[in-house]
Amino acid sequence: MTQPLIQHVCQILYDSPIGTAIRESDNAFSVIESVHVLSITLLVGTIAILDLRMLGLILREIRVSRIARAVLPLTWAGFLFMLTSGFLLFWAEAAKNYLNPAFRVKMVLLLLVGLNPLIFHTTVYRRVTQWEIDHRSPWRARAAACASLLLWGGVIVAGRAIAYF
Amino acid sequence: MNTKHRVLPLVFATLLSSVPAYAHHSFAAEFDGNKPTRLVGKITRVEWTNPHSYFYVDIVDAKGHSQNWGCEGAGPGALSRRGWKKGNLKLGDTIVVDGYRAKDGSHLIDARRVTFPDGRSVYGGSPGDGGPGDNGTDQGALPGTKKS
Repeated sequence: MTQPLIQHVCQILYDSPIGTAIRESDNAFSVIESVHVLSITLLVGTIAILDLRMLGLILREIRVSRIARAVLPLTWAGFLFMLTSGFLLFWAEAAKNYLNPAFRVKMVLLLLVGLNPLIFHTTVYRRVTQWEIDHRSPWRARAAACASLLLWGGVIVAGRAIAYF
Repeated sequence: MNTKHRVLPLVFATLLSSVPAYAHHSFAAEFDGNKPTRLVGKITRVEWTNPHSYFYVDIVDAKGHSQNWGCEGAGPGALSRRGWKKGNLKLGDTIVVDGYRAKDGSHLIDARRVTFPDGRSVYGGSPGDGGPGDNGTDQGALPGTKKS
């Protein structure tokens, strides 16, 4: 029986020495899990600061670009650690994750949550100097902020739900 | 032997055995504390894996039919600390597993106590998972060790 290419790749990862070592480790797996959670708090926490500012809920007196500059290095740091730790966890469980509905939902949400800043930064944020002192940002920026908060929330919920399938 | 802890296979014999859930979760998410079960059988497979380990035993039910059951235990780290090392159990070893059945009726139990061929018992549960007898330690209150 042929299996989808992605499933085949997942099985190769799962069976590989590194994947197996993490899966069967005494401590590595839980340490990586903790790094994953901590990096998510850094990533989503700093993103939320910018989102809430654009929605006009916090730090209204501070320019949007000033806040963006302050949080962006932390956001990227969180992203790198999240991606690395997440991939290691996936490496250990790839064959199981492939079949997990919550994992699939999470991957779709991650794709969407990645598109959001691409659209935001190539459109409304290009004109940030025109609106960055407004207490409440233009509707396109607020829509991006809402999408970001909802999608990241969804990613976290779906990620947690992987354990329950 | 406490009859309450006998295998309860007859009613469930016709149920399809389903794939155990590969997941990390609390006791109550998957298991029924009102269905204590004892399995005595030969090991057919061991998955020494995070976040939970699984091992499988072939048992013989009251009608003489052989059934394969899955047993879910804590992860490798927790089991290692309690003296159960990878490779301790060999395929074909006869073990006794006391635990609780999966809510979905599948041939899966939460292994709260595993008794090895040499008579040694290891607490197989996850401390703090809220399962029966869980006292938040690596020992737990093992099934059958106190009158309820």
